[in-house]
Amino acid sequence: MTASPGPASTHPASTGPAATGAAPAGLALSGAATRGTGAALQAALAAENAAIYGYGVVGGQLGTAARNQALRDWTQHEVARDQLEAMLTSLGVLPAAARPAYQLPFPVHGTGAAISLAGYLENRVAAAYLGIVVLDNSRLRVWAATQARACALRATTWLGRTVAFPGLSSGSGRAAAAGPSASP
Amino acid sequence: MRADLRRRSVLAATVLTMPLLTAACKGVGGLGTLPKSGPDVALLQGAIDTEQALIARYRLAIARSPGLAGTLSPLLAQHREHLARLTSMLIEPASPSGTPRPSPSASAPAGSGSDPSATLAALETAETDAASSLAGRLALAPPALAQLLASIAASEASHALLLRAHGAAG
Repeated sequence: MTASPGPASTHPASTGPAATGAAPAGLALSGAATRGTGAALQAALAAENAAIYGYGVVGGQLGTAARNQALRDWTQHEVARDQLEAMLTSLGVLPAAARPAYQLPFPVHGTGAAISLAGYLENRVAAAYLGIVVLDNSRLRVWAATQARACALRATTWLGRTVAFPGLSSGSGRAAAAGPSASP
Repeated sequence: MRADLRRRSVLAATVLTMPLLTAACKGVGGLGTLPKSGPDVALLQGAIDTEQALIARYRLAIARSPGLAGTLSPLLAQHREHLARLTSMLIEPASPSGTPRPSPSASAPAGSGSDPSATLAALETAETDAASSLAGRLALAPPALAQLLASIAASEASHALLLRAHGAAG
């Protein structure tokens, strides 16, 4: 998802759980600050904010059961966003604020497009977490890899297929599809 | 095999992530003698072994349960992509890309007999174990390899999810 502001669209519901507001255990980063760390965390935060916005659009296009799944995934992205903000704060870096709206990568009308958008968002967020995996801090690496895995699992649940390299540009782009789709 | 590999090969990833200035100073001729390449190559070789074992498991599973080919072949193809990408990080590949060399676990049963549900369950476990194994190598890997390992581990975790969904549906 591009970061440029787009036309106002469905905003995510405002009924999410309270922010955790704390960095994951062992990931309070004071004293470990590097410019690269801050930039990678900010990039992941930007991707999470875009996904949170995007899931609001996704949920608005789905029936009840699928919308509940979108809400669960949206909540997970909110938790990750809060953790990223806490990590940046512990670095002494001001977390970048979310934009009021984001340009969608393609028109989203109907269930199929909404599910495609969810898969797209998850891959973008996974890519941002892989930007943290290259840092030297091994705890941060492992945490970011766990987040990238969570993105891949959510994408597979939505799309009913897997990719060879979640978050990385794939050589062939071939996907392995499930027979009975795991998506709602 | 590994000692031989250590002598003759260096990680392409290490080369790519080294500062340009360092590369310029040492020149290509100096790269083959970098002592730090040993652990990295061993780490990469471990990941390659994991992929080759998975490929062998999938081939065996498809041979035993041809009815699962539609489900398993796309996943097998993705493992071949994993192997090719990992092998490409060796300047001097350990074996031709996509051609698994024999490994101790290659003959491990992918399931009991040709029971499809047992086959799916065994593969699901193998995928989960492989994802954990790759994730466990992250901390020590050079940056580009760490990124690749994280992506492959995520892919394999999603394979396990898909296999579980098939098992439940089947």
